[in-house]
Amino acid sequence: MSELDNRWSLPAGTSRASAGRRLRTVSLKRLKVRENMLAYAFLAPSLLLFGVFMFYPLLRSVYLSLYSTDPAGRVASFVGLQNFTALFSSGLFLDGIRVTALFALLTVPAGMLLALVLAALTHNLLRGKRLFQFAFSLPMVLSVGSAAVIWKFLFHPSLGMLNSGLELAGLVPVPWLTNPKWALLSVSLMTVWMNLGFNYIVISSGMQGIPDDMYESAKIDGAGPVAMFRQITIPLLSPTLFFVLVVSIISAFQSFGQINILTQGGPMDSTNVFVYSIYREAFVNFRFGTGSAQALLLFVVIMLLTLVQFKWVERKVHYQ
Amino acid sequence: MKRFGFRRLRFGRGMILVLAMFMAVLAGCGGNTGANTEATNTSSNNESSSDKGTDNTAAAPVKITWWHSMSGSGEKAINKIVTDFNASHPGIQVEAVYQGKYDESLNKLKASLGSNSGPDLMQVYEIGSKFMIDSKMITPVQKFIDEDKFDLSSLEPNIIRYYTIGGQLNAMPFNTSNPILYYNKDAFKAAGLDPENPPKTFEEYEAAAKALSKNGKPGAAIAIYGWFMEQLFANQNAEYVNGGNGRDQAATESLLASDAGVKTLVWWKKMVDEKAVANLGRDTDDTDSAFAAGQVAMTLDSTASLRKIVDAVGGKFKVGTGFLPRPEGVKEGGVVVGGASLYIMNNKPEEEQKAAWEFIKYVASPEVQAEWSVSTGYFPITKAAYDQQVLKDNVAKFPQFQTAVDQLHASSASNATSGAVMGIFPEARQIVEGAIEEALNGKKEPKKALEDAAAQITDKLKQYNATVK
Repeated sequence: MSELDNRWSLPAGTSRASAGRRLRTVSLKRLKVRENMLAYAFLAPSLLLFGVFMFYPLLRSVYLSLYSTDPAGRVASFVGLQNFTALFSSGLFLDGIRVTALFALLTVPAGMLLALVLAALTHNLLRGKRLFQFAFSLPMVLSVGSAAVIWKFLFHPSLGMLNSGLELAGLVPVPWLTNPKWALLSVSLMTVWMNLGFNYIVISSGMQGIPDDMYESAKIDGAGPVAMFRQITIPLLSPTLFFVLVVSIISAFQSFGQINILTQGGPMDSTNVFVYSIYREAFVNFRFGTGSAQALLLFVVIMLLTLVQFKWVERKVHYQ
Repeated sequence: MKRFGFRRLRFGRGMILVLAMFMAVLAGCGGNTGANTEATNTSSNNESSSDKGTDNTAAAPVKITWWHSMSGSGEKAINKIVTDFNASHPGIQVEAVYQGKYDESLNKLKASLGSNSGPDLMQVYEIGSKFMIDSKMITPVQKFIDEDKFDLSSLEPNIIRYYTIGGQLNAMPFNTSNPILYYNKDAFKAAGLDPENPPKTFEEYEAAAKALSKNGKPGAAIAIYGWFMEQLFANQNAEYVNGGNGRDQAATESLLASDAGVKTLVWWKKMVDEKAVANLGRDTDDTDSAFAAGQVAMTLDSTASLRKIVDAVGGKFKVGTGFLPRPEGVKEGGVVVGGASLYIMNNKPEEEQKAAWEFIKYVASPEVQAEWSVSTGYFPITKAAYDQQVLKDNVAKFPQFQTAVDQLHASSASNATSGAVMGIFPEARQIVEGAIEEALNGKKEPKKALEDAAAQITDKLKQYNATVK
């Protein structure tokens, strides 16, 4: 600002006002550039990180997706859009999307509902509240890797604890991970459990943010607990629920660790979610071309999905 | 409130792009971070070693790095071999680095290509042979054998046959195994079967499995492991790919859906349907543990697991071993050598390659091979090892070890039993495992499942051959 004053005072001695006006606009333009530069300087560190870890890999993926690679992963020759057409014609793309969508469908609603119910039940608890809160958020402290290894033992076809429990109860043991009909369900079960900690913490803290006087006045108006839950808790919790929904869907689309450890995409590709098939194509079979093509398609799918969420689902969200 | 919501929406639009990008990038990065960090970890070692390697005048020992994939008792044995070698060869320092399972370590090797961070000596599983040759990143050990006039006559001919590709030995076999039948002698007796006479044919295997099953609980288990399919092909003297099993010329077509394959898979599926054989998934660890716990009385696995299985069983029951079964009436054929071999990488200085060869010679000596065999269950690559006292003692203690050796010697010599050669073998194995799953789960008829898998493998072979010059 002080600089602007200086410039303004310079032409004060001259008689023509129009010259002063011109000078003023020039200096304003300069000022704007200067301000922008400053903004970019502040943005530089994050732009650099984004550039190195996002934009460069993205451009590189586009480049790789148009080439074929030799068995050691070195670029071999230009193939145009062949990698993309191969994905569609071999069904790799549609199968991957189908399994991933199914996986999201099995994990997201169940995980959110379970966390919501548990949070609602513990919210008004007078005794042992801390204990239950601690127990329900516990899965969060485990990494995907260790959680998956634990569940692998539980799911073990002949020595697993789940099957021996079923046998004790006189039921038929379940081929948890070895039967294509069960495998995705088993992995989803484990994922729901694993995500419960995070969902529970976010939802119950969202519940704590709802002011008590609302409940009190509702109670005076004669509302029962179910009505209060439906008319007050859910609408006021909707921003939190929306957040959990978006994050859950993204994490469902990103799931990799538990699948790599529990099933490796098998049996019969029944758990071969999209990210896992990208991994297999690129880093096991060393076909970076098709791998990159798959990654770009996933990018498009997720962009559309997120767009839908923000455009339609967010309308139902009630911001206070 | 309305304005607030609108602003959020605008903020949201920007977020969509960033979120989506973030996802795509994360998806892409997931797998290779591990490989990269490993590669950089070892790179510092290598730089220092190459510095010393080129410095001839100094008395400092030549340092070489060896990447291997042996864990558990194998890793212990390897560390002992390396320590003994370093103590007895003051001019050379070998550093053994465990790089994960065969697949993982091969992937790390691929990731290290074009940089100096790779090893001097690399242990690669048998199905990686063709890839290693085509990658042009190795110095065939034949070069050193010729220079050194190294005598190969004492090595097992079947093993040398496997690794001789294109008329020369590209790698020195190190740990070799083959699949055998494991059975529970006590359970055999209880089921009225002869505990000293394990099933030899598909038909006998099926009958025994049925006898061992009760109350709908299968008496045997076979892991869905592509290696078994390859071995059962060889056991019927059937080739796995064309071009003389890929040995006379580069394979262009998979022969998976041939009679041998269909016969095998029909047999396998029938036993699963009859609840005589359990489907416990792809992992042999799971079938081994079911066997060791006495839940199934018969299973197939590599000889390399013998020590582990016998230890896990303890004294609970007597473990018997037998040959891999084959269909009735098949006379010819045998097992293919499994396991891994040692490659000398060609991007290292001459001196380091020579040092690696010195180490290979040491590892192939009868003394080391006998010791190695006793502590792991892999059989020795040299016949002279059988004269070593420790091996004699071991066979007396665990007569089961003898089965694999006898089975190896009983195999007839042909392209089929020499083992298939193809560059995409690891991927082909996954495809075959998928086909077996499809058949066992009733999604496709065995013949159809094999035909589809064969078509896929043929397609991948075409792609591979197009990118390799």
